[in-house]
Amino acid sequence: MNGLPLLRLCSLALRQVVRDARAGELRVLFFALVIAVACSSAIGYFGARLNAAMALRASEFLAADLVLQGTTEARPEQLRQGQALGLAHAKTVEFTSVAATDASIQLSSIKAVEAPYPLRGQLKSSAEPYGAEQAGGLPGAGEAWVEPRLLAALNVKVGGNLDIGTKTLRISRVLTYEPDRAADFYSLIPRVLMNLADLAATGILQPGSRVSFRDLWRGAPALIAQYREQVQGSLAPNQRLLDSHDGNRQVGGALGKAESYLNLASLVAVMLAGVAVALSANRYAARRFDTSALLRCLGLSRLDTLLLFSLQLTLVGLAASLAGALMGWLSQFALFALLHGLLPASIPSAGPAPALAGVGTGLAALAGFALPPLMALGRVPPLRVLRRDLLPAPAASWAVYGTAVLAVGLIMWRLSLDLRLTLALLAGGVVAALVLGALLVGVLRRLRGALANAPLPWRLGLGQLLRHPTAAAGQALAFGLILFAMALVVLLRTELLDTWQQQLPKEAPNYFAVNILPGERDAFAQQLGADGARASPLYPVVPGRLTHIDGQPVADRVSAGSRGERATQRDLSLTWAAELPAGNQITAGQWWQPTIAGELPGVSVEGELAQSLGLTIGSTLTFNVGGVVRDARITSLRSIHWDNFQPNFFIIFQPGTLQDLPATYLGSFYLAPGNDARIVALSRAFPATTLLQVDAVLAQLRSILAQVTLAVQFVLLFVLAAGVAVLFAGLQATLDERIRQGALLRALGAARPLLVSARRIEFAVLGAASGGVAALATEAASWALYRFALQLPWAPHPWLLLLPLAGAALVGLAGMLGTCRALAASPLAVLREA
Amino acid sequence: MGASILTARNLSKAVPGTEGELTILHPLSLELAAGDSLAIVGASGSGKSTLLGLLAGLDLPSTGEVSLAGHGLASLDEDRRAQVRAEHVGFVFQSFQLLDSLNALENVMLPMELHGRADAREQARLLLGRVGLGHRLGHWPRQLSGGEQQRVAIARAFAAEPSVLFADEPTGNLDSQTGERISDLLFELNRERGTTLVLVTHDERLAQRCRRQIRLDAGRLVPPLEP
Repeated sequence: MNGLPLLRLCSLALRQVVRDARAGELRVLFFALVIAVACSSAIGYFGARLNAAMALRASEFLAADLVLQGTTEARPEQLRQGQALGLAHAKTVEFTSVAATDASIQLSSIKAVEAPYPLRGQLKSSAEPYGAEQAGGLPGAGEAWVEPRLLAALNVKVGGNLDIGTKTLRISRVLTYEPDRAADFYSLIPRVLMNLADLAATGILQPGSRVSFRDLWRGAPALIAQYREQVQGSLAPNQRLLDSHDGNRQVGGALGKAESYLNLASLVAVMLAGVAVALSANRYAARRFDTSALLRCLGLSRLDTLLLFSLQLTLVGLAASLAGALMGWLSQFALFALLHGLLPASIPSAGPAPALAGVGTGLAALAGFALPPLMALGRVPPLRVLRRDLLPAPAASWAVYGTAVLAVGLIMWRLSLDLRLTLALLAGGVVAALVLGALLVGVLRRLRGALANAPLPWRLGLGQLLRHPTAAAGQALAFGLILFAMALVVLLRTELLDTWQQQLPKEAPNYFAVNILPGERDAFAQQLGADGARASPLYPVVPGRLTHIDGQPVADRVSAGSRGERATQRDLSLTWAAELPAGNQITAGQWWQPTIAGELPGVSVEGELAQSLGLTIGSTLTFNVGGVVRDARITSLRSIHWDNFQPNFFIIFQPGTLQDLPATYLGSFYLAPGNDARIVALSRAFPATTLLQVDAVLAQLRSILAQVTLAVQFVLLFVLAAGVAVLFAGLQATLDERIRQGALLRALGAARPLLVSARRIEFAVLGAASGGVAALATEAASWALYRFALQLPWAPHPWLLLLPLAGAALVGLAGMLGTCRALAASPLAVLREA
Repeated sequence: MGASILTARNLSKAVPGTEGELTILHPLSLELAAGDSLAIVGASGSGKSTLLGLLAGLDLPSTGEVSLAGHGLASLDEDRRAQVRAEHVGFVFQSFQLLDSLNALENVMLPMELHGRADAREQARLLLGRVGLGHRLGHWPRQLSGGEQQRVAIARAFAAEPSVLFADEPTGNLDSQTGERISDLLFELNRERGTTLVLVTHDERLAQRCRRQIRLDAGRLVPPLEP
């Protein structure tokens, strides 16, 4: 029988699989794999599509997928390249000018646009100030759409006229939302949106005019990437490319965090399913020791025996993977249907990649977790046909755990695509399992000694755990992993998201006040106080450009496309402050020290900008402020909490350095909704001051956060499903033994309540141990997550002490449900087995 | 011999099969006095274990009635039958059937604890000493040889001082020498304690050690083999 042809082995394996399937032998293994693949596929589909949808939403902040921005018009060949790729294109021109009526003027931010602007998102407008919003449309030729505060500032109504340069435009609608307005709202002054066709007639654009030309592009990601590659090399110094990640700092951060969440949840779900596969495969292998011994006895080689069982499992794995992929694919449709009202109408499809990745993940999990127990089938001694107590020599621990760790590592790598993070998590997981496992074994061994005089239900219940302390520890770790996942998920969903959302409190500033004249500063602050607004301090703003670093021109210090380059190609908003602003933290150097005569004044620089420009404490910076040159020495570097919607500055000067230069003031404040009349009155009282309404931006951010929360909650359902699969796979693995014991105890006269008590004790103790493990692991993981992954402050979580109780209740309940067959076992079974 | 301890009247068992009901035990009656010993012999599949299960209250008959120590088993639910077994029955199985999660001492203590006896530990020590395993009290079943496991099982069977001891192929998994010693031990203890013994076996020599024998063939009782 040696050297059986592969085809014969395949045929034999197929017959055996069909027979096993009919007998229900492979049910648990099959469903564990289905769950693994379904989880992976559904999460893959959901994650891929949601990320794509969120990227689309984020690209609304650009109104495009990619923007070529410059202070001069894009060169014709740059436009031709994009058009040749079939990308949708729109052009906008933005500049600052005065909007005038017969009676008054107002400095305004003018934007000339052409159809089909915007390429992502929609303009929103209303027929009257604070009226009902309507999406879509564009100002036609001869028309202007203006923000409500401009109407108030100019005391003009919809239908009235407005002069932009030498062109008179009719105000046709009130502009309420502009997708790409959020990108730079610190410098906002009232917006006037006009048609590009009218631009030339204004006569404003002259050589040397300060203008921002933006060419907006939209298309398939691959084409956009291709265009980016083509144009990247031909960018002039005054041009740069913006994508969704650059579009808005807050949204960029939100996307990054959302991706971390989804991948983390995916990882937990797949790992749990892997544990379920391992438990099921163990049972599968153990129940085939006799068959393996018989085949060996009949002359089948060890390799062929192993191959035969491997083929069987592979067939099961493929069938389960296909079923799981289908289930995952269907699940994501159900999810998107459930979230219909919250997600954008158009969710991009994701192709077959997530399903294929899910199948790959399932097979990797099968190989990694099922291979070690399967290998045991090759080691079953043929003598077992005579002596059933003979068991295969156990595999080397390194091989068992090494295979599983390798599979997990591969899956983690695929999910996170971050090798460093993958290895760190993998190593952390192995170390945690070893430490916690050793701790549990130690505790169980001590318990064994204390059990000698315990009541019968305790000895029966815990006997199984104590007879094989290592196995019990492994079981507790497996259940602990489920509880850990659940706890982590709760922690992430409630606390971490709360922390995240707390960064955008409901009463976050909803207005920015820009261009407050020095003479109106005190009156403006008083008016805000009278209106009941909660206001931030008013910061002076002096526009200035960084020209030299330590005497060297900045152009020589920055690399193309870097943050430093972007910061030095435009005027920075310079300010001064005696106190460190809220949300700022000194990361190097010191806040102001008294200046010694003859020394340069101090300046504080935002840390990431400093890094990009290669600045250190002591570097000398030279600024040009309207032709006036000022030098300063860096005395501190700061980190800034950008999400706080407070005025934040890259550069803060020591007080007394810029006071002689012309400055306006900037601040933010919160005014409860329903105070529109006060805003109008404020706008009228301070016509030069621009009030920027940030409610729309906040609402958009909150909408994205709500989407992310729902996405995470959905992913958690799969984590829980995988957890339940582990629980039941674990119970299934020991069910035969439990049924035998139940039958024997019944035969010996044990009443059902005794069996119930014993099971309750066993599972409650197992659950409590699991809960203890989970509490420790969750606390450690939360610390690592807060500290390293999400960079949020960490604090201990006393509620995790409830985990052992929750574990005892949960595992106890599930254990009772999963082993009810053992409780109902007929005592006659002991005779049948004999 | 004493009064009747085990009575079966018109006892039969049928199970549903693919082609209708299948009778695996045809109606039979028997009566066993306290302290008596009965061997049930027959080929594989003849219905020996089925009869043992019915007599011990592990299963319910399709027809007929079993009375064990004065308890009519057919009228009792499983919990009550378990209580009767705990009070009056001991078992010895072919595959020993020790609880893997309990050590030798705890396995022997088990029936006494089910019976609520406070001296279970001490009695279990004595019994294990009696079967020659006084030095193996703390050993787990897997650490014991087949013969040793069966001796623990015998000690457990006698632990609760049962009225009737049911033994299902007690030497079936043992070599002849060990089997001989085990059967000696079984009959010695049976004599010492005056227990009624019902023994299922293939082994004619073992069957001959019982006072009475009955033979089953395809579920039917064949004429008794009188000594």
